Amino acid sequence: MKLKSKGITRSFFRKGRNTNFFYALQKTDFELQEGAVTEIVGRSGSGKTTFANILSGFLVPTEGSLYLDGVDLYALRDERRSILRNRHIGMVPQGQTGLQSLTVLENVLAPAMMYGDMKGREALALQYLEEMKISDLCDVYSNELSGGELRRMSIARALINSPEIIIADEPTGDLDDDTTALVLRLFRRLADKGCSVLIITHEQEAIHYADNIYRMENGILSEIK
Amino acid sequence: MKFAFYYSVKNMKRKPLRSALLSALVLLIAFTVFSGAFVIISLQRGLEVYRARLGADIVVVPASATGHGSVDDILLQGITGNYYMSGDICEKVAATEGVEAVTKQFFLTSAKASCCSSRVQIIGFDPDTDFSIMPWIAESYSGTVQDGDVVVGAKIGVPESGRITFYGQEYTIAARLKETGTGLDSAVFANMNTVRKMAVNASSLLKTSPFQGVDIDTAASALLIKVADGYSIEQVTDDINIHITKVKATPAKSMISDISEGLTGTSALIGIIAAVIWAMAVIILVIVFALLSNERKKEFAVLRVMGASRKMLSRIMGTEAAVLGAIGAVIGIILSVLAVFPLSGSIRDMLKLPFFMPDLWVVLLLAAGAFLISVSASVLTALLSAKKITTNDTALLLREDT
Ligand SMILES: Nc1ncnc2c1ncn2[C@@H]1O[C@H](COP(=O)(O)OP(=O)(O)OP(=O)(O)O)[C@@H](O)[C@H]1O
Ligand SMILES: [Mg+2]
Repeated sequence: MKLKSKGITRSFFRKGRNTNFFYALQKTDFELQEGAVTEIVGRSGSGKTTFANILSGFLVPTEGSLYLDGVDLYALRDERRSILRNRHIGMVPQGQTGLQSLTVLENVLAPAMMYGDMKGREALALQYLEEMKISDLCDVYSNELSGGELRRMSIARALINSPEIIIADEPTGDLDDDTTALVLRLFRRLADKGCSVLIITHEQEAIHYADNIYRMENGILSEIK
Repeated sequence: MKFAFYYSVKNMKRKPLRSALLSALVLLIAFTVFSGAFVIISLQRGLEVYRARLGADIVVVPASATGHGSVDDILLQGITGNYYMSGDICEKVAATEGVEAVTKQFFLTSAKASCCSSRVQIIGFDPDTDFSIMPWIAESYSGTVQDGDVVVGAKIGVPESGRITFYGQEYTIAARLKETGTGLDSAVFANMNTVRKMAVNASSLLKTSPFQGVDIDTAASALLIKVADGYSIEQVTDDINIHITKVKATPAKSMISDISEGLTGTSALIGIIAAVIWAMAVIILVIVFALLSNERKKEFAVLRVMGASRKMLSRIMGTEAAVLGAIGAVIGIILSVLAVFPLSGSIRDMLKLPFFMPDLWVVLLLAAGAFLISVSASVLTALLSAKKITTNDTALLLREDT
């Protein structure tokens, strides 16, 4: 599936010295390559998360459009867009995101329960949890997990609907080196199978796994590899 | 759809305190709506039944019968009293211009002694002229009340023998009347012949007979009058009061309107109290939902990350509010039934107003109405606060730290 942004900007209101709003993301044209791992690096506050959220169909841009196989996502009604996101875009957000009323396994399965049928999903969930080395935690409630365990849970959750597009915002930020390698290898494998993978990262090591690398600076995206 | 239900059930189970709080608020709403409406409807029914029961335009009693034990007291609260006016006075009243029909009633109080089963008000009616008691008896008894028969009010216990003793003589209980919610429910009725015989027995049994100087055969305690068409009830009442001494005539309407004034005041008070409690509970509910949805912003953002639509978020909130609301409403209605039904006697005594429980179908309707009002209050406030937070950019909510 093709994901393509055209002239996307995003401004925020913020009490500043002379203006009260600024651009976190400047006019950005971007196309996510299929079957490849793409990385965006950049300093803190440069606009990476803002961009990743917009690409995930999660944050409405101030201007511009996002096309998923030619469909303008932000022109769709909320429900239609939500369903498309749920089926085709797996999102690993920055920060801790567990639903406290659900166990780890239920958290991972939640996106599958929303619109689709559950056939084979539980086995897939267990397989990803196994791969993330947290399968022994599957019946634990998510508020009992460590930061790194939560992160791995949210990676498994992003993959449960077998999305064609995966957008991960600092997915290895709170993981040790071994687990980081584990996650990056998983993403590599998925890209090799045809997925479009976008990773936002500070990690130096991640560079070795990437086919394309971009840098974000003050809301401006530039290609460096 | 599946997910919204699944997730809300999980949530309710995992947050028992929050769930209990919401249910309790809806319980309060259901309780006030149901009990308030139930009491007001019962009072209105009581008035209607009382009005129909009396069936007369004017009630005439001896002048001595005012105050404690007056007709109002006897009819409304079952306070017992003995008073009589002589036969010639009755004839004078009957001869007043504008009187279309008149019927005598004879009151006799049974003694609380071995001669009698219990102390009750006995009311004698004249089968030839009666238009007040017999239509009522006809509602529950198709035969005629023979000499030696009595008919008892709904609150009088009927012994297995079906017989009851007054002043040393046994009488057959022919029927038990439908409830009126007034003092008539604890009275005993018989035809004039039977009551006069009781009175004769009483005179010989009691040391101080209430009948000294009374000609039992012609006297009456109360006269119920129907006014002919073309005459005003007030005019006829005044005529009787001016021209006939030692009696007091009162338009039945004014007896009833006294009650109905009391009723309007009481109903309004109950209504206001219920409305205030209701409004407070709804306001608290709105605040609680607003606080809760604030606390749940992050949770909603996480659901959005997974691809939940706004509609789904509303459905989750709505389902939780509906389930918890339904539980609260059912408990609230059951509690108010448990509170109001056994207390209806005390409510009647306290308010000194006729109180008549509505029919079962009205109670069921009332319960259904209270249920609907309470659950929709809960669901609507939930949807309102869900809407308020989901119309914001939910992506930004992910940044909220909770
Ligand atoms: N909701 C918001 N309201 C106001 N300003 C915002 C909001 N979200 C982001 N910003 C600002 O936009 C800029 C870009 O934020 P963004 O989260 O995209 O940075 P980032 O590159 O992901 O940083 P990091 O590496 O620390 O995660 C920052 O200066 C931030 O303060
Ligand atoms: Mg970021």
